[in-house]
Amino acid sequence: MGFFDNLLLSIDEGITGLFAQWNVYTSIIFTLFAGIITWQISTRQEPDTHPFLLARQAQGSPVRQPGESPVYRSQAAPHGMPLNAGLNVKDPGASKWARGRDGDLRDIWRQAIAGVQEEGPNKGTKGRILTVEGVEHVVEHSLDDLTRQINLIGQHILNQGGNRVAIYLPNSVELIATLFACAFYNLSPIILPFDQPTDAIISMLRRSAADTVVTAPGSFPFDVVVKSYPSLRQLVWVVDEGSKHMDWNEVPQGTGGSVNVSTWQDIIGEAPITAGKDLPPLENQSEAVDVTIFWQNKSGETEEMVRFTASNLTAAVASQLFTVPTVKRIGPSDLFLPADSLANTHTLALTLGALYSNASVAFNSAAPQAPNLTVATTGIAPTVVVATPAALLKTHEETAKTFSGTVAKDLHWLQTRSLKDGIFPESGFLTNYYQSAFRPTFGTEPGKLRIVLVAERIGADTPKLSSSVLSDLRLYTGARVMYALTAAKVAGAVAQTGYYDYRVFDNEKKACSHFGPPTTSVEVLLRDKDGFRNSDELSQGEIIVTGPSVAGKRAALGVVGYIRDDNTLAYA
Amino acid sequence: MDYVQQRVAQEAAKDGGASSGFFTPLNLILLAVVFYTTFSFLKPKTPLAIPKEEPAVVFRTFTPRTLLPYNGENNQPVYLAVRGRVFDVTRGRNFYGPGGPYANFAGRDASRGLAKGSFDEDMLTKDLDGPLDTLADLTRDELEAMAGWEERFQEKYLVVGRLVAVGDEDKEETKE
Repeated sequence: MGFFDNLLLSIDEGITGLFAQWNVYTSIIFTLFAGIITWQISTRQEPDTHPFLLARQAQGSPVRQPGESPVYRSQAAPHGMPLNAGLNVKDPGASKWARGRDGDLRDIWRQAIAGVQEEGPNKGTKGRILTVEGVEHVVEHSLDDLTRQINLIGQHILNQGGNRVAIYLPNSVELIATLFACAFYNLSPIILPFDQPTDAIISMLRRSAADTVVTAPGSFPFDVVVKSYPSLRQLVWVVDEGSKHMDWNEVPQGTGGSVNVSTWQDIIGEAPITAGKDLPPLENQSEAVDVTIFWQNKSGETEEMVRFTASNLTAAVASQLFTVPTVKRIGPSDLFLPADSLANTHTLALTLGALYSNASVAFNSAAPQAPNLTVATTGIAPTVVVATPAALLKTHEETAKTFSGTVAKDLHWLQTRSLKDGIFPESGFLTNYYQSAFRPTFGTEPGKLRIVLVAERIGADTPKLSSSVLSDLRLYTGARVMYALTAAKVAGAVAQTGYYDYRVFDNEKKACSHFGPPTTSVEVLLRDKDGFRNSDELSQGEIIVTGPSVAGKRAALGVVGYIRDDNTLAYA
Repeated sequence: MDYVQQRVAQEAAKDGGASSGFFTPLNLILLAVVFYTTFSFLKPKTPLAIPKEEPAVVFRTFTPRTLLPYNGENNQPVYLAVRGRVFDVTRGRNFYGPGGPYANFAGRDASRGLAKGSFDEDMLTKDLDGPLDTLADLTRDELEAMAGWEERFQEKYLVVGRLVAVGDEDKEETKE
């Protein structure tokens, strides 16, 4: 026999010998193997978005100024195109193809009461406006009723000679209604952060030169303010149901003789039933009013007063609407809950955006102080929530404790891996089990929540969220979590992480996630500051923001940031 | 066929119950395959890395003399200036680079030439250290022609700097 015959024989013998060892265990292992392959093939999924879109999220300008980085813009608002400046409002009767107006606050309310205008199954659907009181009590407000309140309150303040209206209210229907009343009746609204010490309130009133205050009894130190702020001319109490019977119009003896005091409920109740049904006409309406806000810095520092034009705000609303992809956009089937203070323009812009999208909006005055997401969403089943970083961090901490078992941990690891591959686990055997067994419930109906928005506020010492915390929160809530960078002088957000961006990074600077690309209404550049110098390789320095949603068109934010390899903005 | 028969007989003669344990070589091989497959499925995919963008060009202030080297020779980019703005026209090298019909403009202030529609040497400012061409003597039509060129340049090419006379480098850029 030749060499090859020998070789073939030994191979033959070897293989036969090997397979002669086939036994029951072999069959089990083989079945397992076949099972794994089948599982993988049948559950194989494409990532939710193309990885290229995450690998480079913003566009740098081809030319940069010395000492500055290139100018970065969102891929959705490329260089050479105008930035997203408005809502593209189409007036009735205008040509379908004509470019719409940028719009202002008035157009947002008009759209809210008109219902969905686009052709389709939802045409004419209007959102609902709810107030959550206490744990379970939910009150619905009719839109016609709110329009009447907007008209009557606006007319009342105007007739009493008001001009600059400070709104010192918790998150409530009345806050939004007063804002719209000011917009329709040409009054300048000033939104004060709620729950402030007396001297801060007085200082804010003084700096903003307010002559009218809309506020709630119990939270506003009337006597002290009247004494130390004589320019106050008018005060409107928003009285809750329980204390309606009391005579709030009575001004304490010796104080505030010159202040005209009334209550919201009386203004509405004493007007004829037919009064105030129609909004002021669209034709020949006056210029839109500016909105003043106070940005709360870290405790102990004075609030920063910022005056936004109406177009700053609409640009912010438009760019916030743009951050959610068209197929997933907020619409009439959504219930939106602002669980962060409406005095923050990010929350305000999103809330106005929800109203403009004809989504239902729920107000809960206690939500911004809620310790966690479960408390914030009590009584309702929101689909979109704006939450505070503190509440989310607490929610993460509390939920992570319940994931102590091996099964829970492994399953969570597996789900995180799916997120890292760009796939949001929404269905499938393991995901369903994960949801039913481990996921906490937010709101009254599980599984409804789909978007959670959260913002880092520059200078306010808000707790920072790392990308791994954000990733865990995506799994705990079952919602897309978007993290924004917000600043006093920029309405809405400076930058915001993408809807489909679930990536997790280790070794993040300051244990803080990146903030995604600039929003579509701003462009961002970094200017040399201290040790942070720009070069061909690295863009870093003080964050400078320009665009239609920036008060005064351009603002230096005072903090240093850098542009990462995927062209997202992060703290340096 | 002999061989087959022989082998069958050989195998039949063997003791059939020799391998009933779990840790047979076959099982170990199969297990290894199973573990490897599972591992490769579970291993996180390496994130996609795309090459870094070209670094941005730093905006510069040129004088006629420092602009001069950028005429496309020796693999230099091709720059030309129109009314104080320096355009990078390297992409139009066939026109503005060496040997092209507009080669005279490369590295120079091309305002007057573009306005008059002439590519001659005498359209250029001779004195590199003197003041910039004020273009004060141009007619309305010529100014319009120049504005047209400027508009086209702005659409097609990048503004990479500004041109000032020697000695004016530190003056603030006049905003339009």
